[in-house]
Amino acid sequence: MMIELIIGKSYNEPTAMSNDSIISVKKLRKVYPGGTEAVRGISFNVKRGEFFGFLGPNGAGKTTTINMLVNLVKKTSGEITIDGLKLEDHLDEVYKRVGFAMQEVGLDEVATAREMMQLHGRLYHMPPFEIDAQIAKLLKLVELEKVADKFTSTYSGGMRRRFDLALSLIHKPKILFLDEPTQGLDPHARQLIWAHLRQLNKEGMTIFLTTHFMDEAEALCDRIEIMDNGKIVTEGSPTELMKKHNAKNMEEVFLKTTGSNLGDEEVNANAPDPFTRARS
Amino acid sequence: MNTFFSDWYYLSIRNIKLIWRPLLALLPPFFMPIFFFAVNSLSLSALAKVPGFPDVSYKDFIAPVAIFTAIFFSAGNAGIELVQDIQSGYFKKLIIMPINRLAIVLAKLTEIAVQSLGQGIIMLTLLLLWGVKIQSGFLGVLAIFAILIIFAMAWSCIGMISALRTQNARLVQSLFILVFPLLYLTTSQTPRALLPSTFATITDYNPVTHIIEGIRALVLDGWGSPDIGYAFLAAGGMFVVFVTFTMLSFRKALK
Repeated sequence: MMIELIIGKSYNEPTAMSNDSIISVKKLRKVYPGGTEAVRGISFNVKRGEFFGFLGPNGAGKTTTINMLVNLVKKTSGEITIDGLKLEDHLDEVYKRVGFAMQEVGLDEVATAREMMQLHGRLYHMPPFEIDAQIAKLLKLVELEKVADKFTSTYSGGMRRRFDLALSLIHKPKILFLDEPTQGLDPHARQLIWAHLRQLNKEGMTIFLTTHFMDEAEALCDRIEIMDNGKIVTEGSPTELMKKHNAKNMEEVFLKTTGSNLGDEEVNANAPDPFTRARS
Repeated sequence: MNTFFSDWYYLSIRNIKLIWRPLLALLPPFFMPIFFFAVNSLSLSALAKVPGFPDVSYKDFIAPVAIFTAIFFSAGNAGIELVQDIQSGYFKKLIIMPINRLAIVLAKLTEIAVQSLGQGIIMLTLLLLWGVKIQSGFLGVLAIFAILIIFAMAWSCIGMISALRTQNARLVQSLFILVFPLLYLTTSQTPRALLPSTFATITDYNPVTHIIEGIRALVLDGWGSPDIGYAFLAAGGMFVVFVTFTMLSFRKALK
């Protein structure tokens, strides 16, 4: 019920879209300066209200893709449509429709949680009464009401992640992008985030999740696409994927489809921060 | 309120809070100017008796430099704050909001303007208590603040351009060293007439010289000197050039 109030009738007017896809990606490609082709003409759709998992080993192109979906990285070619709006033609309208909890939590260290949420609400041009109501509901959702007036620099890792999640929901987005939302969290904090995400999705929010935790993807996602070397290598519900690849769990599916070991991190000298990439 | 102005306003308020959070961060920019002013005005006071020195005390002669230096030191922090915002991911949050990009730059400049005004008032109060007199009166004080604020906003852009292009806190912080040649290759310590000719020529090409000379004219002489106009021209010219480059850097970074 809580979430009904949080996303409820979105702050943004709904836009009709054919075949009920809220995200549509066609032949999306990204070539970085220097010639590295991070994303090689991928196409996929995410249905309205779906909990969508986007997985892949390090360097597969997941973060580049998610960053292209919010225009933090410029695509080289292809087409992105969000809630019926072509991304590059309706940037501000798309920004009103999406929330993004990034890998970097990115909090204002010298502001309190309440101050940050008020500022973000105002920057989304929401009416003040609606901002206050939304702040109260979101802080309750992520169980941070008691520390709402403390500086965010005093928060633990789990509190920061939960607050970041609440912050990304301040403007009642229809789609929530999550890039490694439980990275570095203890099991208790992970479970809390999972519970919040399940609740949001249950009430109709579309969630686009990238994660390295296969148990997370298996537990949360309705449908999963696995990406490797810039291409989508398989797609389906967790059950379908396990059956299709004759695997006991998603980790096995992942290893069979990508041939990568989880946590086998590589240094990619040609992969600057997404913000730097946005310049190209 | 128009969304552009409301974005500018709310981002400015957020940035202005950075000035006094933490409160202790306000103190360092005052230390060096006050220290140098105290040491120089006491130890070099005999310079005022050298033929060719204007008919004022050395303390009054270097007072404008003390105000200017405090603002010069702190205006560079805009770049460091921007790097911190970029590295923490906060900046990315801003750029995926439906806000006007120009408002982000203007809010940063507003923060610098408010900070410079506050520091200017504190430094001027200290100097007045020390016995310095402003010959151009209250309007002269306003003119001094105007020159300082325009210059501070322009100088802060150097830090912001570096932050946007490099995203490297150490590099942006190291720009601090530019303050010294820009400050000392001027007539800040000695009048032009007493400088060696080559040095004097260099000071002519340094815009900071003209800013210091303009403020000095307002402190020592009143309103008659053309140096006041040159100070506005130098600060204004720097403002136009550096704000333009900052906007270009933002545009390039955000595309």
